[in-house]
Amino acid sequence: MAEPVVVVVEDEPQIRKFLRAALTGQGYRVFEAGTGADGLIEAASRQPDIVIVDLGLPDVDGREVITRLREWSAVPIIVLSARGQEPDKVAALDAGADDYLSKPFGVGELLARMRVALRHGARGDPESVESTLTVGDLQIDLGRRRVLVQGAEVHLTPIEYRLLATLVKHAGKVVTHRQLLREVWGPNAEDQSHYLRVYMAHLRRKLETNPAQPRYLLTEAGVGYRLLTE
Amino acid sequence: MSIDWPSYGWAIALVALATGAAWLMFPFFELADLIMMYLLGIVVVAMRHGRGPSLLASVLSVAALDVFFVPPFFTFAVSDARHLFTFAVMLVVGFVISNLTVRIQAQAAAARSREARTAALYAMSRELTSTRGVHELLTIALRHVSEVFKSQVVVLLPGADRGLSAWSGGQFQLDANELGVARWVYEHRQPAGLGTATLPGASALYLPLIAPRGPVGALGVRPGDRHSLDAPDQLHQLETFANQTALAIERARLADEASDAKIRMETERLRNSLLSSVSHDLRTPLATITGAVSTILENGSRLDDRTRQELLESVRDEGERLNRLVQNLLEMTRLESGALQLRKEWHSLEEVIGAALSRVGKRLANRRVTTRVPPSLPLVPMDDVLVEQVLVNILENALKYTPPGSPIEIIATATDRAATVEVADRGPGLPHGEEDKVFEKFYRGRADGERGAGLGLAICQGVVRAHGGRIWAQNLPGGGVAFLFTLPITDAQPTVDG
Repeated sequence: MAEPVVVVVEDEPQIRKFLRAALTGQGYRVFEAGTGADGLIEAASRQPDIVIVDLGLPDVDGREVITRLREWSAVPIIVLSARGQEPDKVAALDAGADDYLSKPFGVGELLARMRVALRHGARGDPESVESTLTVGDLQIDLGRRRVLVQGAEVHLTPIEYRLLATLVKHAGKVVTHRQLLREVWGPNAEDQSHYLRVYMAHLRRKLETNPAQPRYLLTEAGVGYRLLTE
Repeated sequence: MSIDWPSYGWAIALVALATGAAWLMFPFFELADLIMMYLLGIVVVAMRHGRGPSLLASVLSVAALDVFFVPPFFTFAVSDARHLFTFAVMLVVGFVISNLTVRIQAQAAAARSREARTAALYAMSRELTSTRGVHELLTIALRHVSEVFKSQVVVLLPGADRGLSAWSGGQFQLDANELGVARWVYEHRQPAGLGTATLPGASALYLPLIAPRGPVGALGVRPGDRHSLDAPDQLHQLETFANQTALAIERARLADEASDAKIRMETERLRNSLLSSVSHDLRTPLATITGAVSTILENGSRLDDRTRQELLESVRDEGERLNRLVQNLLEMTRLESGALQLRKEWHSLEEVIGAALSRVGKRLANRRVTTRVPPSLPLVPMDDVLVEQVLVNILENALKYTPPGSPIEIIATATDRAATVEVADRGPGLPHGEEDKVFEKFYRGRADGERGAGLGLAICQGVVRAHGGRIWAQNLPGGGVAFLFTLPITDAQPTVDG
């Protein structure tokens, strides 16, 4: 397989420099852009496998870059943003970004996010969804509708199952509250975020050893949930 | 002016009475004594019925004396010309008596009303002295002036952009013209409006409120009867009230300014303390990072791998520490500037505790963290991002001030009205009596390792209070300290379909 291509849209030269060093070292071909406009040109001409977009660009809103990119491309997008700007992250994710990282971040975290995004490939591509997932002592088989914890089958209610299946479909990536509500309860339930709190608690109680210190079903405050895969 | 007919009736009746008495005395007394009888009647009429009736009584008395007691009797004719002189003198004396009596009466009445005004002024001054705040003062002044002068009253104070803002408690409506008169009064420091030479067409009389440092506003008085303020002493009296009000307003202003100055000083002190704290706390990790990295750059391959690894790890750790400091500074600034917006939703404490633990992450690796969160715990309305920050700050505080390897326990409980979260450690505890001080800004305990900015727990307090909750710390009997905070549950739990 050829080296995967990354386009980094980030205005800070120092951050671009360390990203280039880290990603090149990991076998990526890196192309850089310092503005949203250049980023869109790079993304169009380099045929990237993944795009990393900083939300605080000087020329356009990072969210705008995502929306424009999504008009013609399903390439995985990871956004970089500061902590404390959860609404911006949610907006970027709802605009079509696949995942986010809060600055400052370690390269390890970034590489993990990129691996997940690359594995999922194009968003919404049904072939990219793996139907089985094994993480720690949790085994999920969507094809056979079976969930095992430490080898023992766990019974889930239909809603609990749908919720878990949605998280499995996006395994490793953050899924926003709105996205989960829409996929599990339908478009009319987008504001009923307390449904999620109640059913996530049910799921954790059945799947986690200690629901208050979860290993698999993680909460990203203000953003959504993430099913850990590694 | 209407004529008081009954008083004139009384004047006639009293002259008749005096005539009756004189008739009885006539056989035994001189004419001069009879005249005394009449003068007595005039005095009584003057005292009780005022000037008009007493003048009538004087004239009638002379006539009655002439008709009944001066020969030839029962005619106005006079036989002895000397009697004409007597009549003239009697008439003059009668007029003088009635005038004097009436004037004394009027002076007594004026003295009474002055006394009442003085008492009213005294009452107002006393109330004003024991009151703070401009608006409270104005309410009192309005009430008193309105009662004493039977008027609608408005006070106009200079507001923003050089306009006057009216303060009347709703009883006094000002149109643009009236406001113009008030502004003229304020600017020229002279009374104007109703009853004055300046702009007399106005519906109210306006007086400037002048305090020692200059004009503080204007007072508008619209009497129930348009003429009731015409008397000079009324105007004078009103000016006294206006002066008292002006003094009180200035006093309140001065008090406000003094307290503002105190707040500014306090803010300045905090800012200085923040600056020195921040510059120290930011420089320490920066010094470590710069030192470590330049060591690696300049020594190159002479460093062994282990040293190089250690230096790089300290660069990473100090970077993370800087990040936490900056995060806390931002959070504090947001709290203090009032820019913090709570995004409250129904959340599960279990979830928020889990999120906080995973965010502190690796640094808790060598700790035994126990969580006791009952499954029956209700959802709690909160801003999850901020409450997660509260937990993270308390946990980081525990990491900082308790020995490595010591356990941490997190317990959540709830009643119908509030949820409580407790984070307990097994460290050295807080110095006795400092349980409340730890929440003050820039308070720092004695830590062996990392020093913070002393903001973490202050932020916790800000966030918890913004939620309407309470946060406190208590030393535990077996050693260690527990940080507790409550979050109120005000509404009924939301319903869940499915």
